[in-house]
Amino acid sequence: MAAELRLEGVDFSYEETTPILEKIDLTVPAGQFVCLLGSSGSGKSTLLRLLAGLQFPRHGQLSWNGQPITGPSLERGVVFQDYALFPWMSVVDNIAIAIGKAQPKARKAERREQAEACLVKVGLENAIGQYPFELSGGMRQRAAIARALALRSPVLLMDEPFGALDPTNRARLQDLLLEIWETEVPRKTLVFVTHDIDEALYLGDRIVVLGSTPGRLIADLPVGFPRHRERRALFDNAEFHALRESIAETLAADTLRQLVAA
Amino acid sequence: MSETLTAPPRGTPVAGAPGDRQPERTTSAPRRAASVPSALLAILQGSIVWIILLALWFAAAKYFPLGDNPLIPSPQRTVLALQESLPELWEGTLSSFSILIPGLLLATLLGIISGIYVGSSALLQRIFFPFARVAAPVPPTVYVPYAIAVLPTFKLSAIFVVFIGAFWPIFQNTAAGAHALESRYRDNARILGLNSHEFHWKVVFPAALPHIFSGMAVGLGFAFILLTVAELFGANAGLGRFVQYYADFADYPKMVAGILYTGVVTYLAMSGLEAIKRRALFWHR
Repeated sequence: MAAELRLEGVDFSYEETTPILEKIDLTVPAGQFVCLLGSSGSGKSTLLRLLAGLQFPRHGQLSWNGQPITGPSLERGVVFQDYALFPWMSVVDNIAIAIGKAQPKARKAERREQAEACLVKVGLENAIGQYPFELSGGMRQRAAIARALALRSPVLLMDEPFGALDPTNRARLQDLLLEIWETEVPRKTLVFVTHDIDEALYLGDRIVVLGSTPGRLIADLPVGFPRHRERRALFDNAEFHALRESIAETLAADTLRQLVAA
Repeated sequence: MSETLTAPPRGTPVAGAPGDRQPERTTSAPRRAASVPSALLAILQGSIVWIILLALWFAAAKYFPLGDNPLIPSPQRTVLALQESLPELWEGTLSSFSILIPGLLLATLLGIISGIYVGSSALLQRIFFPFARVAAPVPPTVYVPYAIAVLPTFKLSAIFVVFIGAFWPIFQNTAAGAHALESRYRDNARILGLNSHEFHWKVVFPAALPHIFSGMAVGLGFAFILLTVAELFGANAGLGRFVQYYADFADYPKMVAGILYTGVVTYLAMSGLEAIKRRALFWHR
């Protein structure tokens, strides 16, 4: 069985009459960076929660490496939008608790050492002993990324992780994420939820567009720009603009269809 | 890494690169300078009721109904009585605390442990809440005579009653806090694969701490009420007993001194709890 994330005929709804996700079929090969793009109400966060094993589909199957997803697993790390660090633990303890779960045999000192290394990796070497309330939004999100890295999971699921950040920090954290992802061997399978077309184009190998009400796949586009992308060069690239236009049109058409239906 | 960070002293927000949003701070430098007179003003405002009450007391002792009423001892006589009774009051405090502390500790321990588990389990809630809803509102003072009759010593029965009075508010607040756990913390605990023990004590417990401290404040208040009520019934020492004893002898200066002393002790206990709460919840804003 090839290493891949696979969704087959996935339906999700809280009540039978109001479907949230409908007939999602998607296969993500290992090591791919996929961006799930959609407007609000497209169920893209729900889809991520299904992949995380935090919720379960009404119909259909999700699997990783051929194993059905039956609940959360350390194989699939998650980063949420709202910096969900535990506020009563110092930053380093927040990371160390993840390491303790990923490597139950590691001693306390080892865990702390590794946690510090993870924090250095995301540029938080001076915030190690601090508490989440002492950090800015960007720094908290760095810590959340460090915690996900600490799990050393082959799959990383990110739900609008930079959605609450200002543009400067957002760009900085996008670069940080790419830098970490591109240097890891083997690369993580990354599913990244966003509603920002530019962000999806800059980060992804592939963009999967979800339409709204109910959420379903309306486009699946490869993004062929070579890695170690230059933000500036990319934003001047004609192909980039063509892709951006076509995605924007797809989303606009979906919005129009919704309005007509209403 | 493009961001340069400088090592800050603990407790201050880290200044990140220019783009980093800073956590909001409420005290800015100019406002702090202006807050000195406002602090003074606050002290004055806080003293108004005290000054008026003290003046009324002086006046009542002197003129009501015709002056020197034995039921209203003057502040001077009360202070003298207080001074005279201090050794006795101290003994009483020790005796009262030997009831209060075991009862309160037991109530805190059991209230928190059961509250954490019941509050975070729908099944346990269905099992225990129907009982708790009936049992908790019963005024615990009604248990006093029976406890004194059933339990072998007065001390044990008083500890039991203090325990009952303090347990319910602590249990109920803890359970409410555990029940209100934010879903993002629950999701995180699941994603990290925390086991049941870690989930309850490293996530639910700290998250519920603000509720737990509210429950403990109410529980401490109840504990003092029940302690003094129990002592009125059958103690041979203690703060409530002191007040009852001198009331029986119509020694009102000593009785009033006992009331004031008990007030101070209660206030100090509450302040102590408040100080612990502020230390424990430093991360909470």
